Amino acid sequence: MSAIGQCLLAFFFGTIVGLLVQRSRFCNTAALRDAMLFKSYRNTKALLVAMIILTIGFTGFISIGEGNPMSFDVGLNQIIGLFIFGIGMVLAGACTVSTWVKSGEGDVGAMWALLFTFIGMFLYSMLWSANYWPPAPASMTGAPNLEALQFGHANAKTLQERFGIPAIVFGIGQALVLVAIYRAILRKERQQQSGT
Amino acid sequence: MEFFKKTLDPVVALAAIAVLDIFMFVSLGAWTVGGGETMMTGLAAQAVLGAETLQRLPFWQLVFQPDPTYWKIYISLGMLTGGLLGALLSKEFRWRAPRRLTDWVLITIGGLMMGIGIRLAFVCNVSTFFGLTPEMNLGGYLSITGIVAGAWVGSLIYKKILEG
Repeated sequence: MSAIGQCLLAFFFGTIVGLLVQRSRFCNTAALRDAMLFKSYRNTKALLVAMIILTIGFTGFISIGEGNPMSFDVGLNQIIGLFIFGIGMVLAGACTVSTWVKSGEGDVGAMWALLFTFIGMFLYSMLWSANYWPPAPASMTGAPNLEALQFGHANAKTLQERFGIPAIVFGIGQALVLVAIYRAILRKERQQQSGT
Repeated sequence: MEFFKKTLDPVVALAAIAVLDIFMFVSLGAWTVGGGETMMTGLAAQAVLGAETLQRLPFWQLVFQPDPTYWKIYISLGMLTGGLLGALLSKEFRWRAPRRLTDWVLITIGGLMMGIGIRLAFVCNVSTFFGLTPEMNLGGYLSITGIVAGAWVGSLIYKKILEG
């Protein structure tokens, strides 16, 4: 696909996502924050349903050699980075999706959050240019690199190649765990309702 | 149109997004957001500082070379357009801004932390929940650990502020 075709497809996808998120008021921040603070699971359930469908879909296509899974080395930087991100999104009251969608609704606070997300990224680019950590994609090998606190690369595709078992089998296992979490939430909601 | 009159069930909305995301996964790559923002940051910095100044920072050569045809930029611009369209068609568009200084401070700090966190991790919340984890990528599990712990700490801070 040409670069223009990719951009058009991405824009079309993003527009539909923006529309659906705007109409449903889905918020990833609320999916975590509301479950932890208020024991409210409206967004958490939606997040889990999407993850169940995606797990089956992605691993199904990986099983037949299709799809474009992300491929890069991972390590301690994912835990630290998302920890910082997790605090930030609760403080800002929005994640990367809702900042864009709320900006489209005329929310100046969301625009402000986006602006400072960009500034944060630029500040980090300065820091990275001084210490070169985590390693740049070009220097990633897929193998563990403990000196750089990197564990290498593994996903459903590598599991399939290593064990000769179709990726969908692992996917079904993960989907069942997600279904169990979803059912536990439904039970908790029933308890909340019977308690009121 | 009924779609623009009532709030859509988020389970239905996210199920539809998931199906579209599978189509994206097969065509280009799973839904992701942080990469597009980083590229926009690079392009904006290049426009303000000039290409030569920006090249003094190796990050913008080795990790992200500013490129306006990077498709992930257009997912984000699409989400902005979709949000605007939804708000206009449902008559929910209105300019609004936080009223308290505390909110502005929290949004500023939160925004900075999100930007720094995304770049440090190479992923954001979207890649974590809608890309890496469904691909059963080790990075997805590491990221979920981080974001759940971070959201918990953030919630404690948020609660303190709400109560204080």
